[in-house]
Amino acid sequence: MSNVIENLEVAPVPDWEEVDDDELADLEALKAQFSRDRERWAEFHQQNVDRIARGSFSLAWMDTEGSNWGTQVKPSSRGLTYDDINRPRCYGTIPEKAEYRNMTPRGAVREPYRDRLPDLPEFRLVEKWDVWADNVSTLYEEAKFRQWNATKDVPWTELEPVSEELEKAACQFATFLTEIEFTAGDFPAKWLCRIPNEFHEIKTFLATQVMDEARHLEVFRKRALAGGGGLLHVTPNFEWAGKLLLDTPSHTWGSFFLNLLGEGMILSLFRAGEFLARTHVDREIFRLCLQDESRHVAFGTIEMKNYLESHPEPAKAQEMLHAYADMTEPMIEAMLFEPTVLEPLAILMGGSVDDIDMGMDGVAFLWNVVREEYLQRCDRAGFDRRDTCTLYEDLPWKVA
Amino acid sequence: MGMATTTTVDFPSVGWFERLGRVMEEYRARHEHIGPIDVTVVWTVIDADGRGTDRHFLTRFELYSMVEAREITEDERFQADFIMETDAQVWQEMIENIRDNGGRPDLEHSLNRLSLPGVPIRVWADDPLGRDMFFRFNQSLQEFVNASVHVPTRYPDLGE
Repeated sequence: MSNVIENLEVAPVPDWEEVDDDELADLEALKAQFSRDRERWAEFHQQNVDRIARGSFSLAWMDTEGSNWGTQVKPSSRGLTYDDINRPRCYGTIPEKAEYRNMTPRGAVREPYRDRLPDLPEFRLVEKWDVWADNVSTLYEEAKFRQWNATKDVPWTELEPVSEELEKAACQFATFLTEIEFTAGDFPAKWLCRIPNEFHEIKTFLATQVMDEARHLEVFRKRALAGGGGLLHVTPNFEWAGKLLLDTPSHTWGSFFLNLLGEGMILSLFRAGEFLARTHVDREIFRLCLQDESRHVAFGTIEMKNYLESHPEPAKAQEMLHAYADMTEPMIEAMLFEPTVLEPLAILMGGSVDDIDMGMDGVAFLWNVVREEYLQRCDRAGFDRRDTCTLYEDLPWKVA
Repeated sequence: MGMATTTTVDFPSVGWFERLGRVMEEYRARHEHIGPIDVTVVWTVIDADGRGTDRHFLTRFELYSMVEAREITEDERFQADFIMETDAQVWQEMIENIRDNGGRPDLEHSLNRLSLPGVPIRVWADDPLGRDMFFRFNQSLQEFVNASVHVPTRYPDLGE
């Protein structure tokens, strides 16, 4: 096995970009910004100080004008869900465009305070067509109910020893999965503070996704260490795929890459986990993760459908998404074909290094499932990718 | 367990699925731990009687319960989020494997393992998001079928 690794070309180590780590300069910049902001709020603060000093109270907040006071929402059989509290239109109407770029909640009395509120351009996803997914409330409730705990819900004590080569393959695969789950969490986390609170359903769902991915990277890290092996090699071409994802300037485009294409593939890998699993523990891990990934896939598919249907320039949206897919599809192949991914998969699938060819037949079959299910989900989202998909129709694999 | 009973029930039948639903109630705490399941599944049993007759059973799940089980026609299968289709012999092998392993299948006989290649179990739906519900609720569905360990089952004579 070592000679195979020696034959790999070693990529040059890129130079680090200069990082401005002058903390004092950062502090000075923050102080300058604070001083400017203070001009906006200090006057009102002084009024409050004076009011309290006079022993005076203000009950202006009890004025319900402009509020939806008196609206009572009722729980359903599963508790008080987002769907339940969104039933009254005054609270449940999702605006086509967010008017407030700050921390104020939808449905609160905001208008009288408009000129006192900060405007944060970071909340940049102000258009509903750019962020919404109709299935988000259902998925959010489902995500909360179906949380699990990588510490106690996996029967770690039942992890059975396997041959060293199988343990190495399992640990390499777990290393790869740990690596990608970091990025799968970083992407929704990066966009959370860019989504206005008007769309709090989306924000809270993304928070569950961040938690899901945190649990996944935790469980695969633990899996690598629990069998007496450990973490093995990183996957450089995954890193470039992750970079493309994090560089992506649109949440919906990135969601297509992460949730529909990437997690769609990972979903198939987790499904195949029952072929890859050599122990009940591994099978349980894959099954638990499988359920989480399928929520993300469902969200990504419907978010993309909303984007394509509601974009003010639908033809342009299709064109841009096709251009983006032209970039992302090759990254999936670049990642999967890395020896740190493909070979351990084939060994786990085949059952041993000697049976790696047989395992590759299984991986080739799995590839067809990945490709077809990806195209089906694109169809569902109204994105016809069948004639333009650049993914190999069949894995370029034949027995030597 | 209170619902474990010695009364034998025929497979496939509405009564058999209803019995699984009752065991699901008995093990509600387990299902609450896993999470709610909101999905409608049609289980198609191919050659259910050994004489070439296919039968279709619809089960509807809400929260932690199976709230409906009935036999439907082939044309009514569209009501399901997804359809799980396999022949009676595969069902029998899977149920017996669950029984022999004390209530959970071995690595070769889980619903997911038997369905990934498309054979012997085919999971399908016109809407891929409907099919994906099989994955979203996979653990609950596996627990539902694992409950068959508590249901003494009589199989049709399928011949050789």
